[in-house]
Amino acid sequence: MQHQLIDTPDFGMLQVTFDQANETIVAESGAMVAMDTGINMKTSMRGGLLAAAKRKLMGGESLFQNTFTASGPGERLFLAPGPEGDLRAMNLQAGETFMLQSGAYVAHVGDELNLDTKVAGLKGFFGGGGFFMLKVTGPGTVYYCSYGALHEIDVPPEGYTVDNEHLVGFTEGLQFNVRKFGGLRGLFFSGEGLVCDFSGQGKIYLQTRNAGSLAAFLHPYRPVQAKG
Amino acid sequence: MEFDIRYKPAHTLAVCNLNPNEMVRAEAGAMVSMTRNIQVEAAARNKDEGMGKRLLKGLKRMALGGESFFTNTYTATTQPGHVTFAPSLTGDMIVHDCQGEQLIIQGSSYVAAPDSITIDTQFQGMKGFFSGESMFFLTATGYGPVLLNAFGAIETLDLNGEMIVDTGHLVAFTAGINYSVIKASGGWISSFLSGEGLVLKMQGQGRVYVQSRNPSEYGATVGAMLPPRSN
Repeated sequence: MQHQLIDTPDFGMLQVTFDQANETIVAESGAMVAMDTGINMKTSMRGGLLAAAKRKLMGGESLFQNTFTASGPGERLFLAPGPEGDLRAMNLQAGETFMLQSGAYVAHVGDELNLDTKVAGLKGFFGGGGFFMLKVTGPGTVYYCSYGALHEIDVPPEGYTVDNEHLVGFTEGLQFNVRKFGGLRGLFFSGEGLVCDFSGQGKIYLQTRNAGSLAAFLHPYRPVQAKG
Repeated sequence: MEFDIRYKPAHTLAVCNLNPNEMVRAEAGAMVSMTRNIQVEAAARNKDEGMGKRLLKGLKRMALGGESFFTNTYTATTQPGHVTFAPSLTGDMIVHDCQGEQLIIQGSSYVAAPDSITIDTQFQGMKGFFSGESMFFLTATGYGPVLLNAFGAIETLDLNGEMIVDTGHLVAFTAGINYSVIKASGGWISSFLSGEGLVLKMQGQGRVYVQSRNPSEYGATVGAMLPPRSN
């Protein structure tokens, strides 16, 4: 199987070309753009109902995932994420881990790749949305997306701070704490910001836009519900 | 201190590198990330002012502009560090280098500037009130870079004479230019029907920055398709 990341960085798409029959790739439901007719698509709750429900409830991912299986060499499949922005691949060795913001998962290759939803930060401390991440453990390749451009940071010795809504993922070897941020903003506006303080050695991946800000911008333009 | 703008033009990120004791002031929601040796202070617009006065200034900006406008300051302590900034909407950013001449900025276009630049709110009088686009202007005075954002692309127009600019497409202009709010065409009804409503007549000599998309138009297009809100 060969993969090519095309149309990056603004509208990234994954082009897969299968080398032989029975090769597979698993993708988030709704990610398929186009494919050759010989490819078989099977919808399932990966890991069974409980694991899928946990992902859905905690991570905000969809309940179902699709497995695409080739029937012959040369077949093509195109996959794309929901938001506009970049798309990247992360290759993981056996036992190597990668933490992903749960909405950033697009697809993965590798039967032994493990995806598990983890609570990041203090459980129950933040009302509403919560803060969950997907722990990806190799061997295998995971494809992930960003809203906007994807910005890579090597954590410097003094540590690094990231706005929660701009965090996409980070490599193993990093520890972090979540705290409130925003000063006076919090006094006047609901939903004060959270940031993550990172320390250790590794890489952080950021997105240069976030869906929450767009939603907040659009909210005042919604029609107002009639009273009564 | 410098701004390095990456990922132009659609999903820009501004990386602001700071030497020890250098400081940058930014609109409160703009910070994406920073090194951990950066000291953050809320709304420290002017160090000589007390908390109460700063708060009043913030409220004045909100009342005039009908939107949030608070700033944080980011200071590198003993070692160099960096802060990254991004606007909330898709679009470009640009650095305007102030050389003593005042820059007048449409409120939501301002992102960040060092402390060598003084940012203040400009009361528009009746002009601002009638423009209808919740327009509020900031002024940037001093020497140094001012980081601006746009919704869409940014076009730089050199003006010598006069031209008309739509209120929703204005980003900033230099102080050698005067403006007045006028009807887009002769009569009120045709102004309204043209979809342009009130526009700005810019007169003088200087530079005008315009953005290729209008946030209000975008909000109206998408917002109308969303389910009603209860408040």
